[in-house]
Amino acid sequence: MNVIPCSINTLTGLYNISGVEVGQHLYWQIGGLQVHAQVLITSWVVIAILLGSVTLAVRNPQTIPADGQNFFEYLLEFIRDLSKTQIGEEYGPWVPFIGTMFLFIFVSNWSGALLPWKIIQLPHGELAAPTNDINTTVALALLTSMAYFYAGLTKKGLSYFGKYIQPTPILLPINILEDFTKPLSLSFRLFGNILADELVVVVLVSLVPLVVPIPVMFLGLFTSGIQALIFATLAAAYIGESMEGHH
Amino acid sequence: MASAVMASCKTPSRIVLSPVASASKQPQQVSPNRFQQLKLAVLSLQRQHGGKAAAVAAGLVAASWGASPLPALAAEIEKAALFDFNLTLPAIASEFLLLMVALDKIYFTPLGKFMDERDAAIRAKLGDVKDTSSEVKQMEEQAAAVIKAARAEISAALNQMKKETTAELEGKLAEGRKRVEAELAEALANLERQKEDTIKALDSQIAALSDEIVKKVIPAP
Repeated sequence: MNVIPCSINTLTGLYNISGVEVGQHLYWQIGGLQVHAQVLITSWVVIAILLGSVTLAVRNPQTIPADGQNFFEYLLEFIRDLSKTQIGEEYGPWVPFIGTMFLFIFVSNWSGALLPWKIIQLPHGELAAPTNDINTTVALALLTSMAYFYAGLTKKGLSYFGKYIQPTPILLPINILEDFTKPLSLSFRLFGNILADELVVVVLVSLVPLVVPIPVMFLGLFTSGIQALIFATLAAAYIGESMEGHH
Repeated sequence: MASAVMASCKTPSRIVLSPVASASKQPQQVSPNRFQQLKLAVLSLQRQHGGKAAAVAAGLVAASWGASPLPALAAEIEKAALFDFNLTLPAIASEFLLLMVALDKIYFTPLGKFMDERDAAIRAKLGDVKDTSSEVKQMEEQAAAVIKAARAEISAALNQMKKETTAELEGKLAEGRKRVEAELAEALANLERQKEDTIKALDSQIAALSDEIVKKVIPAP
Protein backbone atom coordinates (compact mmCIF):
# COMPACT_ATOMS: atom_id res chain seq x y z
CA MET A 1 0.00 0.00 0.00
CA ASN A 2 2.86 2.34 0.58
CA VAL A 3 4.64 1.23 -2.56
CA ILE A 4 3.44 4.09 -4.73
CA PRO A 5 4.18 7.02 -2.44
CA CYS A 6 7.54 5.54 -1.65
CA SER A 7 8.51 5.22 -5.25
CA ILE A 8 7.41 8.83 -5.68
CA ASN A 9 9.64 9.71 -2.81
CA THR A 10 12.43 7.81 -4.50
CA LEU A 11 11.79 9.82 -7.62
CA THR A 12 11.89 13.13 -5.82
CA GLY A 13 15.06 11.90 -4.19
CA LEU A 14 16.48 11.34 -7.65
CA TYR A 15 15.49 14.85 -8.63
CA ASN A 16 17.28 16.21 -5.65
CA ILE A 17 20.55 14.37 -5.99
CA SER A 18 20.68 15.32 -9.64
CA GLY A 19 19.93 18.93 -8.85
CA VAL A 20 16.85 19.12 -11.01
CA GLU A 21 14.48 21.83 -9.94
CA VAL A 22 11.18 21.22 -11.64
CA GLY A 23 8.74 24.08 -11.56
CA GLN A 24 10.91 26.30 -9.39
CA HIS A 25 10.95 29.86 -10.57
CA LEU A 26 12.81 33.04 -9.83
CA TYR A 27 10.10 35.66 -9.48
CA TRP A 28 10.37 39.32 -10.35
CA GLN A 29 7.63 41.74 -9.45
CA ILE A 30 6.68 44.11 -12.24
CA GLY A 31 3.86 46.50 -11.37
CA GLY A 32 2.25 44.09 -8.96
CA LEU A 33 2.47 41.22 -11.42
CA GLN A 34 4.96 38.38 -11.35
CA VAL A 35 7.23 37.14 -14.09
CA HIS A 36 9.53 34.15 -14.31
CA ALA A 37 12.85 35.92 -14.41
CA GLN A 38 14.87 32.88 -15.53
CA VAL A 39 12.70 32.54 -18.64
CA LEU A 40 13.06 36.19 -19.53
CA ILE A 41 16.84 36.12 -19.01
CA THR A 42 17.38 33.08 -21.20
CA SER A 43 15.02 34.42 -23.85
CA TRP A 44 17.05 37.62 -23.95
CA VAL A 45 20.19 35.58 -24.44
CA VAL A 46 18.49 33.61 -27.23
CA ILE A 47 17.31 36.81 -28.91
CA ALA A 48 20.78 38.31 -28.56
CA ILE A 49 22.35 35.22 -30.14
CA LEU A 50 19.90 35.35 -33.03
CA LEU A 51 20.18 39.06 -33.73
CA GLY A 52 23.95 39.07 -33.24
CA SER A 53 24.70 36.14 -35.54
CA VAL A 54 22.28 37.39 -38.19
CA THR A 55 23.72 40.89 -38.10
CA LEU A 56 27.28 39.59 -38.34
CA ALA A 57 26.53 37.23 -41.18
CA VAL A 58 24.18 39.27 -43.35
CA ARG A 59 25.52 42.79 -42.72
CA ASN A 60 27.25 43.01 -46.08
CA PRO A 61 25.91 40.39 -48.48
CA GLN A 62 28.24 39.17 -51.22
CA THR A 63 27.22 37.80 -54.59
CA ILE A 64 29.22 34.68 -53.89
CA PRO A 65 28.24 33.91 -50.27
CA ALA A 66 30.90 33.11 -47.70
CA ASP A 67 30.46 30.89 -44.62
CA GLY A 68 27.99 32.77 -42.40
CA GLN A 69 26.03 34.30 -45.24
CA ASN A 70 25.87 30.92 -46.93
CA PHE A 71 24.43 29.36 -43.81
CA PHE A 72 21.80 32.04 -43.37
CA GLU A 73 20.88 31.91 -47.05
CA TYR A 74 20.42 28.18 -46.71
CA LEU A 75 18.28 28.80 -43.63
CA LEU A 76 16.16 31.37 -45.42
CA GLU A 77 15.63 29.05 -48.35
CA PHE A 78 14.68 26.29 -45.94
CA ILE A 79 12.12 28.55 -44.23
CA ARG A 80 10.76 29.79 -47.56
CA ASP A 81 10.46 26.25 -48.78
CA LEU A 82 8.65 25.21 -45.61
CA SER A 83 6.25 28.17 -45.84
CA LYS A 84 5.65 27.61 -49.53
CA THR A 85 4.88 23.95 -49.01
CA GLN A 86 2.38 24.65 -46.26
CA ILE A 87 0.83 27.98 -47.27
CA GLY A 88 1.04 27.94 -51.04
CA GLU A 89 1.91 30.68 -53.48
CA GLU A 90 0.99 33.56 -51.13
CA TYR A 91 3.59 32.53 -48.58
CA GLY A 92 5.69 35.70 -48.90
CA PRO A 93 4.26 37.84 -46.05
CA TRP A 94 4.35 34.88 -43.65
CA VAL A 95 8.03 34.07 -44.00
CA PRO A 96 9.06 36.38 -41.10
CA PHE A 97 6.50 34.83 -38.75
CA ILE A 98 7.28 31.21 -39.62
CA GLY A 99 11.00 31.90 -39.75
CA THR A 100 11.11 33.69 -36.41
CA MET A 101 9.00 30.94 -34.88
CA PHE A 102 11.40 28.28 -36.12
CA LEU A 103 14.58 30.14 -35.24
CA PHE A 104 13.41 31.24 -31.80
CA ILE A 105 12.22 27.77 -30.79
CA PHE A 106 15.23 26.05 -32.32
CA VAL A 107 17.81 28.30 -30.68
CA SER A 108 15.88 28.17 -27.39
CA ASN A 109 15.81 24.37 -27.40
CA TRP A 110 19.43 24.02 -28.33
CA SER A 111 20.50 26.64 -25.84
CA GLY A 112 18.92 24.49 -23.15
CA ALA A 113 20.93 21.51 -24.35
CA LEU A 114 24.22 23.19 -25.25
CA LEU A 115 24.75 26.33 -23.17
CA PRO A 116 26.09 25.73 -19.66
CA TRP A 117 23.31 27.65 -17.94
CA LYS A 118 23.89 25.83 -14.66
CA ILE A 119 27.14 27.70 -14.12
CA ILE A 120 25.09 30.77 -13.26
CA GLN A 121 23.48 30.28 -9.89
CA LEU A 122 20.14 31.94 -9.28
CA PRO A 123 18.72 32.61 -5.82
CA HIS A 124 15.77 30.39 -6.67
CA GLY A 125 15.05 28.21 -9.66
CA GLU A 126 17.58 27.70 -12.44
CA LEU A 127 18.28 28.84 -15.96
CA ALA A 128 17.11 26.52 -18.72
CA ALA A 129 15.69 26.68 -22.20
CA PRO A 130 12.94 29.32 -22.45
CA THR A 131 10.72 26.71 -24.10
CA ASN A 132 11.00 24.78 -20.85
CA ASP A 133 8.35 27.10 -19.40
CA ILE A 134 4.68 26.75 -20.23
CA ASN A 135 4.31 30.54 -20.49
CA THR A 136 6.65 30.64 -23.49
CA THR A 137 5.04 27.80 -25.36
CA VAL A 138 1.52 29.07 -24.70
CA ALA A 139 2.55 32.55 -25.82
CA LEU A 140 3.91 31.15 -29.08
CA ALA A 141 0.85 28.95 -29.59
CA LEU A 142 -1.55 31.85 -28.97
CA LEU A 143 0.40 34.00 -31.42
CA THR A 144 0.01 31.21 -33.94
CA SER A 145 -3.74 31.16 -33.31
CA MET A 146 -3.95 34.90 -33.81
CA ALA A 147 -1.84 34.60 -36.94
CA TYR A 148 -4.12 32.11 -38.59
CA PHE A 149 -7.23 34.04 -37.64
CA TYR A 150 -5.63 37.19 -39.04
CA ALA A 151 -4.62 35.34 -42.22
CA GLY A 152 -8.10 33.97 -42.78
CA LEU A 153 -9.92 37.22 -42.01
CA THR A 154 -7.69 39.39 -44.21
CA LYS A 155 -7.90 36.91 -47.06
CA LYS A 156 -11.60 36.18 -47.00
CA GLY A 157 -13.24 38.73 -44.73
CA LEU A 158 -16.14 37.55 -42.61
CA SER A 159 -16.83 34.65 -44.96
CA TYR A 160 -13.82 33.08 -43.21
CA PHE A 161 -16.22 31.95 -40.49
CA GLY A 162 -18.07 29.96 -43.10
CA LYS A 163 -15.41 27.29 -42.64
CA TYR A 164 -17.01 26.37 -39.31
CA ILE A 165 -19.98 24.81 -41.09
CA GLN A 166 -17.88 23.11 -43.72
CA PRO A 167 -18.43 20.47 -44.94
CA THR A 168 -21.64 20.18 -42.90
CA PRO A 169 -23.14 22.23 -40.02
CA ILE A 170 -23.10 19.09 -37.87
CA LEU A 171 -19.36 19.55 -37.50
CA LEU A 172 -19.75 23.04 -36.02
CA PRO A 173 -18.85 22.04 -32.44
CA ILE A 174 -15.82 20.08 -33.60
CA ASN A 175 -14.69 22.94 -35.79
CA ILE A 176 -14.98 25.35 -32.89
CA LEU A 177 -13.20 22.89 -30.64
CA GLU A 178 -10.35 22.76 -33.10
CA ASP A 179 -9.55 26.40 -32.45
CA PHE A 180 -8.89 25.46 -28.84
CA THR A 181 -7.11 22.18 -29.41
CA LYS A 182 -4.68 23.67 -31.90
CA PRO A 183 -2.89 26.03 -29.49
CA LEU A 184 -3.27 23.51 -26.69
CA SER A 185 -1.56 20.73 -28.59
CA LEU A 186 1.09 23.08 -29.98
CA SER A 187 2.07 24.44 -26.60
CA PHE A 188 1.92 21.19 -24.67
CA ARG A 189 3.84 19.25 -27.28
CA LEU A 190 6.74 21.68 -27.20
CA PHE A 191 6.68 22.20 -23.45
CA GLY A 192 6.45 18.50 -22.65
CA ASN A 193 9.14 17.46 -25.06
CA ILE A 194 11.68 20.00 -23.93
CA LEU A 195 11.00 19.56 -20.23
CA ALA A 196 11.07 15.78 -20.49
CA ASP A 197 14.22 15.96 -22.52
CA GLU A 198 16.09 18.03 -19.98
CA LEU A 199 14.80 15.87 -17.13
CA VAL A 200 15.89 12.66 -18.81
CA VAL A 201 19.36 14.00 -19.46
CA VAL A 202 19.77 15.37 -15.95
CA VAL A 203 18.48 12.26 -14.24
CA LEU A 204 20.66 10.05 -16.39
CA VAL A 205 23.69 12.22 -15.71
CA SER A 206 23.00 11.93 -12.01
CA LEU A 207 22.81 8.13 -12.25
CA VAL A 208 25.75 7.48 -14.57
CA PRO A 209 27.84 10.60 -14.98
CA LEU A 210 30.02 9.35 -17.84
CA VAL A 211 29.45 8.17 -21.42
CA VAL A 212 25.98 6.69 -20.97
CA PRO A 213 24.06 10.01 -21.13
CA ILE A 214 25.78 11.03 -24.38
CA PRO A 215 23.41 9.16 -26.74
CA VAL A 216 20.47 10.60 -24.82
CA MET A 217 21.97 14.07 -25.15
CA PHE A 218 22.25 13.61 -28.91
CA LEU A 219 18.70 12.31 -28.95
CA GLY A 220 17.77 15.47 -27.04
CA LEU A 221 19.40 17.68 -29.65
CA PHE A 222 17.56 15.77 -32.36
CA THR A 223 14.24 16.04 -30.55
CA SER A 224 14.77 19.76 -29.97
CA GLY A 225 15.35 20.38 -33.66
CA ILE A 226 12.38 18.24 -34.62
CA GLN A 227 10.13 20.07 -32.16
CA ALA A 228 11.10 23.45 -33.61
CA LEU A 229 10.43 22.13 -37.09
CA ILE A 230 7.09 20.64 -36.05
CA PHE A 231 5.96 23.86 -34.39
CA ALA A 232 6.90 25.99 -37.40
CA THR A 233 5.42 23.52 -39.87
CA LEU A 234 2.14 23.25 -37.98
CA ALA A 235 1.89 27.03 -37.61
CA ALA A 236 2.40 27.37 -41.36
CA ALA A 237 -0.09 24.58 -42.01
CA TYR A 238 -2.76 26.26 -39.85
CA ILE A 239 -2.19 29.58 -41.63
CA GLY A 240 -2.35 27.88 -45.01
CA GLU A 241 -5.48 26.01 -44.01
CA SER A 242 -7.30 29.19 -43.02
CA MET A 243 -6.21 30.92 -46.24
CA GLU A 244 -7.16 28.21 -48.69
CA GLY A 245 -10.51 28.59 -50.40
CA HIS A 246 -13.19 26.18 -49.28
CA HIS A 247 -15.46 24.61 -51.80
CA MET B 1 6.63 0.65 10.53
CA ALA B 2 4.25 1.45 7.71
CA SER B 3 3.55 4.81 9.28
CA ALA B 4 7.26 5.51 9.30
CA VAL B 5 7.40 4.83 5.59
CA MET B 6 4.40 7.03 4.99
CA ALA B 7 5.97 9.79 7.00
CA SER B 8 9.09 9.69 4.92
CA CYS B 9 6.94 9.80 1.83
CA LYS B 10 5.13 12.95 2.87
CA THR B 11 8.27 15.04 2.60
CA PRO B 12 7.94 17.87 0.08
CA SER B 13 9.78 17.71 -3.16
CA ARG B 14 12.60 20.04 -2.21
CA ILE B 15 13.96 18.13 0.76
CA VAL B 16 17.18 16.37 -0.13
CA LEU B 17 16.60 12.71 0.44
CA SER B 18 18.43 10.19 -1.66
CA PRO B 19 16.83 6.79 -2.20
CA VAL B 20 19.70 5.13 -0.46
CA ALA B 21 19.26 7.32 2.57
CA SER B 22 15.55 6.56 2.74
CA ALA B 23 16.33 2.89 2.43
CA SER B 24 18.90 2.96 5.17
CA LYS B 25 16.35 4.48 7.55
CA GLN B 26 14.31 1.29 7.36
CA PRO B 27 15.36 -1.46 9.74
CA GLN B 28 15.55 -5.14 8.77
CA GLN B 29 12.01 -6.17 9.82
CA VAL B 30 10.30 -4.86 6.67
CA SER B 31 7.38 -6.61 5.09
CA PRO B 32 8.54 -8.67 2.12
CA ASN B 33 7.13 -6.69 -0.81
CA ARG B 34 9.10 -5.99 -3.95
CA PHE B 35 10.32 -2.51 -3.17
CA GLN B 36 11.32 -3.28 0.35
CA GLN B 37 13.32 -6.24 -0.86
CA LEU B 38 14.97 -4.01 -3.36
CA LYS B 39 15.82 -1.49 -0.74
CA LEU B 40 17.27 -4.23 1.45
CA ALA B 41 19.43 -5.31 -1.42
CA VAL B 42 20.51 -1.74 -1.90
CA LEU B 43 21.30 -1.45 1.76
CA SER B 44 23.48 -4.56 1.78
CA LEU B 45 25.17 -3.34 -1.40
CA GLN B 46 25.91 -0.07 0.24
CA ARG B 47 27.39 -1.81 3.25
CA GLN B 48 29.67 -3.83 1.01
CA HIS B 49 30.80 -1.18 -1.44
CA GLY B 50 30.25 2.09 0.38
CA GLY B 51 29.39 5.20 -1.61
CA LYS B 52 29.80 3.60 -5.01
CA ALA B 53 26.60 1.67 -4.45
CA ALA B 54 24.53 4.82 -4.53
CA ALA B 55 24.46 5.04 -8.29
CA VAL B 56 23.79 1.34 -8.69
CA ALA B 57 21.01 1.49 -6.17
CA ALA B 58 19.43 4.46 -7.84
CA GLY B 59 19.59 2.60 -11.14
CA LEU B 60 17.90 -0.44 -9.60
CA VAL B 61 15.18 1.66 -8.07
CA ALA B 62 14.62 3.52 -11.32
CA ALA B 63 14.48 0.26 -13.25
CA SER B 64 12.02 -1.37 -10.91
CA TRP B 65 9.84 1.72 -10.70
CA GLY B 66 6.84 0.58 -12.69
CA ALA B 67 3.92 2.20 -14.49
CA SER B 68 1.57 2.74 -11.56
CA PRO B 69 2.49 6.00 -9.79
CA LEU B 70 1.61 8.48 -12.53
CA PRO B 71 -1.36 10.24 -10.89
CA ALA B 72 0.61 10.81 -7.73
CA LEU B 73 3.53 12.08 -9.80
CA ALA B 74 1.22 14.54 -11.51
CA ALA B 75 0.22 15.80 -8.07
CA GLU B 76 3.87 16.33 -7.20
CA ILE B 77 4.42 18.31 -10.40
CA GLU B 78 1.37 20.45 -9.72
CA LYS B 79 2.93 21.36 -6.43
CA ALA B 80 6.06 22.33 -8.31
CA ALA B 81 4.24 25.18 -10.11
CA LEU B 82 4.79 23.89 -13.61
CA PHE B 83 1.57 25.45 -14.88
CA ASP B 84 2.15 28.83 -13.39
CA PHE B 85 0.80 31.41 -15.81
CA ASN B 86 1.67 35.03 -15.20
CA LEU B 87 3.05 38.15 -16.89
CA THR B 88 5.80 36.01 -18.49
CA LEU B 89 3.33 34.96 -21.17
CA PRO B 90 2.58 38.40 -22.62
CA ALA B 91 6.22 39.38 -22.06
CA ILE B 92 7.45 36.49 -24.18
CA ALA B 93 4.75 37.17 -26.78
CA SER B 94 5.81 40.79 -27.14
CA GLU B 95 9.47 39.79 -27.18
CA PHE B 96 8.66 37.38 -29.96
CA LEU B 97 6.85 40.05 -31.97
CA LEU B 98 9.76 42.47 -31.52
CA LEU B 99 12.19 39.75 -32.55
CA MET B 100 10.05 39.07 -35.60
CA VAL B 101 10.09 42.71 -36.65
CA ALA B 102 13.84 42.98 -36.02
CA LEU B 103 14.67 39.79 -37.90
CA ASP B 104 12.42 40.89 -40.74
CA LYS B 105 14.28 44.21 -40.92
CA ILE B 106 17.80 42.80 -40.80
CA TYR B 107 17.43 39.28 -42.14
CA PHE B 108 14.35 38.07 -43.99
CA THR B 109 13.55 41.06 -46.17
CA PRO B 110 17.07 42.31 -47.08
CA LEU B 111 18.63 38.92 -47.62
CA GLY B 112 15.54 37.64 -49.40
CA LYS B 113 15.58 40.64 -51.71
CA PHE B 114 19.30 40.21 -52.28
CA MET B 115 18.86 36.53 -53.11
CA ASP B 116 15.95 37.23 -55.45
CA GLU B 117 17.92 39.92 -57.27
CA ARG B 118 20.90 37.63 -57.62
CA ASP B 119 18.60 34.91 -58.87
CA ALA B 120 17.14 37.26 -61.47
CA ALA B 121 20.61 38.41 -62.52
CA ILE B 122 21.82 34.84 -62.93
CA ARG B 123 18.71 34.00 -64.92
CA ALA B 124 19.24 37.01 -67.17
CA LYS B 125 22.86 36.03 -67.70
CA LEU B 126 21.81 32.50 -68.50
CA GLY B 127 19.34 33.86 -71.04
CA ASP B 128 22.10 35.96 -72.56
CA VAL B 129 24.29 32.94 -72.82
CA LYS B 130 21.54 31.06 -74.62
CA ASP B 131 21.14 33.99 -77.07
CA THR B 132 24.85 34.13 -77.79
CA SER B 133 24.78 30.44 -78.48
CA SER B 134 22.42 31.12 -81.41
CA GLU B 135 24.75 33.92 -82.46
CA VAL B 136 27.64 31.54 -82.32
CA LYS B 137 25.71 29.15 -84.54
CA GLN B 138 25.08 31.91 -87.04
CA MET B 139 28.75 32.82 -87.04
CA GLU B 140 29.68 29.22 -87.49
CA GLU B 141 27.41 29.08 -90.51
CA GLN B 142 29.05 32.20 -91.87
CA ALA B 143 32.44 30.70 -91.32
CA ALA B 144 31.35 27.53 -93.11
CA ALA B 145 30.08 29.62 -96.04
CA VAL B 146 33.34 31.58 -96.16
CA ILE B 147 35.34 28.38 -96.11
CA LYS B 148 33.14 26.91 -98.87
CA ALA B 149 33.60 30.01 -101.03
CA ALA B 150 37.33 29.99 -100.45
CA ARG B 151 37.49 26.33 -101.38
CA ALA B 152 35.52 26.96 -104.58
CA GLU B 153 37.80 29.87 -105.45
CA ILE B 154 40.88 27.84 -104.80
CA SER B 155 39.64 24.92 -106.82
CA ALA B 156 38.71 27.25 -109.70
CA ALA B 157 42.15 28.84 -109.58
CA LEU B 158 43.69 25.41 -109.43
CA ASN B 159 41.73 24.27 -112.45
CA GLN B 160 42.67 27.32 -114.42
CA MET B 161 46.29 26.93 -113.48
CA LYS B 162 46.16 23.31 -114.49
CA LYS B 163 44.63 24.28 -117.83
CA GLU B 164 47.22 26.95 -118.42
CA THR B 165 50.05 24.68 -117.55
CA THR B 166 48.65 22.01 -119.80
CA ALA B 167 48.34 24.45 -122.67
CA GLU B 168 51.86 25.68 -122.15
CA LEU B 169 53.17 22.17 -121.98
CA GLU B 170 51.33 21.23 -125.13
CA GLY B 171 52.71 24.28 -126.94
CA LYS B 172 56.21 23.37 -125.88
CA LEU B 173 55.61 19.80 -126.90
CA ALA B 174 54.33 20.83 -130.32
CA GLU B 175 57.27 23.14 -130.82
CA GLY B 176 59.69 20.42 -129.86
CA ARG B 177 57.96 17.98 -132.18
CA LYS B 178 58.07 20.50 -135.01
CA ARG B 179 61.74 21.06 -134.47
CA VAL B 180 62.41 17.35 -134.38
CA GLU B 181 60.41 16.88 -137.53
CA ALA B 182 62.33 19.67 -139.26
CA GLU B 183 65.60 18.13 -138.19
CA LEU B 184 64.38 14.78 -139.32
CA ALA B 185 63.37 16.16 -142.68
CA GLU B 186 66.71 17.85 -143.04
CA ALA B 187 68.53 14.68 -142.12
CA LEU B 188 66.42 12.72 -144.61
CA ALA B 189 67.21 15.28 -147.33
CA ASN B 190 70.91 15.01 -146.53
CA LEU B 191 70.67 11.28 -146.68
CA GLU B 192 68.87 11.46 -150.00
CA ARG B 193 71.52 13.76 -151.45
CA GLN B 194 74.29 11.57 -150.22
CA LYS B 195 72.54 8.59 -151.75
CA GLU B 196 72.27 10.36 -155.09
CA ASP B 197 75.91 11.39 -154.93
CA THR B 198 76.90 7.88 -154.13
CA ILE B 199 74.75 6.50 -156.92
CA LYS B 200 76.27 9.06 -159.27
CA ALA B 201 79.75 8.06 -158.18
CA LEU B 202 78.84 4.44 -158.46
CA ASP B 203 77.51 5.03 -161.97
CA SER B 204 80.81 6.55 -163.14
CA GLN B 205 82.74 3.82 -161.42
CA ILE B 206 80.49 1.23 -163.05
CA ALA B 207 81.11 2.82 -166.42
CA ALA B 208 84.86 2.78 -165.81
CA LEU B 209 84.72 -0.75 -164.53
CA SER B 210 82.67 -1.96 -167.45
CA ASP B 211 85.10 -0.30 -169.79
CA GLU B 212 87.93 -2.12 -168.13
CA ILE B 213 86.05 -5.40 -168.29
CA VAL B 214 85.31 -4.82 -171.88
CA LYS B 215 88.99 -4.08 -172.52
CA LYS B 216 90.03 -7.21 -170.69
CA VAL B 217 87.48 -9.50 -172.28
CA ILE B 218 87.86 -8.23 -175.67
CA PRO B 219 91.54 -8.20 -176.35
CA ALA B 220 92.70 -5.20 -177.94
CA PRO B 221 93.24 -5.58 -181.41
